Amino acid sequence: MQIKDKILPGKLLLLLAVILVLGGLLFSGCTVRSTPVGWSGVAVTDNALFVASLEGELVGLNKSDGNPLWTGCPLGTSKETVAVYTTPAVDGDLVYVGGYDGRVYTVSSTSGYRERVYPLDDNLESIVGGLVVSGGRVYFGCDDGKVYALSADEFRKEWEFQTGDKVWSTPVVSGETVYVSSFDKKVYALNVADGTEKWHFETEGGIVSTPLVYNDTVYIGSFDRHIYAVDAADGSLRWRSEVEADKWFWAQPIAYDNIIYAPNLDGKVYMLDTESGYEVAVPAELDSPISSSPVVVGDKVIIASQEGRVFSLDTSSNMVSTSIFTVSNDDEVIRAPLCASEGVVYIHAQTSKHDTLYAVDVETGREVWVPVSLS
Amino acid sequence: MEWWNAGPVALMINSLVALSSYLHGSLGLTIIILTIIIRFAMYPLTVKQLRSTKAMQELQPKIAELQKKYAKDKKRLADEQMKLYREAGVSPAGCGVPMLIQMPIWIALYQSIIRLLAITPEDLLGLSKALWSWPVVYTMVPLNNSFLWFRLENPDTPLAVLVGVTMWLQQKMVTPDSTDPQQRSQSQLMLWMMPLMFGFLAMSFPSGLALYWVASNIITIIMQYFITGGWGGLSKSKGGRAVVKASIGKSSGDLKKRIAQAEQSAGITAMEADIVVPASTPEDEAGGDVSADKPRGAGYPGDAKTIRRQSKRSRGHRPKGR
Repeated sequence: MQIKDKILPGKLLLLLAVILVLGGLLFSGCTVRSTPVGWSGVAVTDNALFVASLEGELVGLNKSDGNPLWTGCPLGTSKETVAVYTTPAVDGDLVYVGGYDGRVYTVSSTSGYRERVYPLDDNLESIVGGLVVSGGRVYFGCDDGKVYALSADEFRKEWEFQTGDKVWSTPVVSGETVYVSSFDKKVYALNVADGTEKWHFETEGGIVSTPLVYNDTVYIGSFDRHIYAVDAADGSLRWRSEVEADKWFWAQPIAYDNIIYAPNLDGKVYMLDTESGYEVAVPAELDSPISSSPVVVGDKVIIASQEGRVFSLDTSSNMVSTSIFTVSNDDEVIRAPLCASEGVVYIHAQTSKHDTLYAVDVETGREVWVPVSLS
Repeated sequence: MEWWNAGPVALMINSLVALSSYLHGSLGLTIIILTIIIRFAMYPLTVKQLRSTKAMQELQPKIAELQKKYAKDKKRLADEQMKLYREAGVSPAGCGVPMLIQMPIWIALYQSIIRLLAITPEDLLGLSKALWSWPVVYTMVPLNNSFLWFRLENPDTPLAVLVGVTMWLQQKMVTPDSTDPQQRSQSQLMLWMMPLMFGFLAMSFPSGLALYWVASNIITIIMQYFITGGWGGLSKSKGGRAVVKASIGKSSGDLKKRIAQAEQSAGITAMEADIVVPASTPEDEAGGDVSADKPRGAGYPGDAKTIRRQSKRSRGHRPKGR
């Protein structure tokens, strides 16, 4: 066909513009939306550590030297890599872990072999929050908005409770009550035996953070940027923090010596009196958002920022030190909750494709053993 | 691209969230409403684009005639075309420039919808960085991703089909039923390629995006109806050929009048282009004067598609005695 003229007709120009737009949309769509990667926390026993890697394997390590106890146990099917956001739960010689594929797995802590899967032939919606094993039951929340209780020995569902939206927090068991928060802005108190609701309390924003039960009070951080203290027995409000953070409360708060330490995505740690809710000190400011739940080691609160730095907050002065440890790879971030045992804090840091486990002495800031590459 | 995420995309995200507070937190409804708002905010550009498109379509017959006439003289063809555009007050880029101006807005809306869907925990964590310090924004997220029969974060086949159908309807409205084979093939390409492409994409993207496309297409159809004065190609599609036949069947006096108008406006001496001429004829291949060797009075083919009136210039160059 002859080219009749050198001037592009308006339609071809339009077609070219549309193709460019489409290409831009395609590219931008691919780069804006992320695939699930995971950020598993670390479970620690007397002698071992358990963590799920970015490759979807449960890894068991010797606590004293970081050497593997067994080769990684792959979760999921052979065709897919399962993202894991949950912190494994250890009960006896079994390790329980939930996957983003909507299944709960048990793995033998001694052999590393996968023992059981729930559900067996199907899958639930994604599991993001952690699991807790208590009183012969396994409790966890799910993307379908339900809280499940399975029998730990037979791995059968004993009950389920439906909330109004996704459950991304870890259930907390205290006595005969299991407390869990939901995206539907509520904190629920359920009977451990049958899952019936005792009470619920509604905040003004969605809740991702795991509740903290301390001194018969449930403390919870909400997307409405406030901390709430709710009576554990009847769900009545004790106080709502006057201070309003700049961003969401994401990580679980911790308590020490009647002070709540609540990290926020604005990079600050808010310190509130457990009885009154008033601030006891100016918020400690880190260098980047905090999505990793802190831990208490001795009289220090150990906190990690997303950019890979670990800080120590002295509870006597409520002042935060300069960074006591920084991950070795500049691209690594810390999103997984911290774990501590015997003066050592365990940090699971990751890039989008690679993750590393660090063991750091809190007092010296030095690595106890060579960082372990998990994938 | 930090400025892009912190500026236009963040503005869209926060606007969507704030708007959702008036719509019971429904992200689906919010997408539709915001799409409507933005389309009407860009109404002047849309009007300009549609009118320019229509004007270009109306000039196509004259352009086709110029192309036939100056097939061998590219420079003259270009000059005559530009002259025609100037006299008609139409710019060839008038169709595409308004669309290019609107592109950043649509891309920002597209990206903000994806980010608001926040399917994975990483997405939700990342979304927190884009939110402004408005109380209503923080309390609304995460939004309700259920809408009608589907979840906005999952692909939905019926909705994807609707994307293709509405886009086809929109395209058909502005696609002229050209008699020129080249124009026709280009039009058909546009008419089918884009709906198929978008429909296919919609099957793999979150249905929140498909919802946005459907809403946008429907609004465009409504705008086109009122701006261009009717259903355009949709109403002509059944009688497309009837238009050609009707043109041919008009009285010779009417035909002369139309020819005179065309000649007056652009110095064209060829026929009214409503009459179809095959893409490849011996005359075309020979180029230049097409009737030089055709004897006067020789039988013209009875088929209307091959009827061709001799040009004035060609009469003057007809050899005598034939």
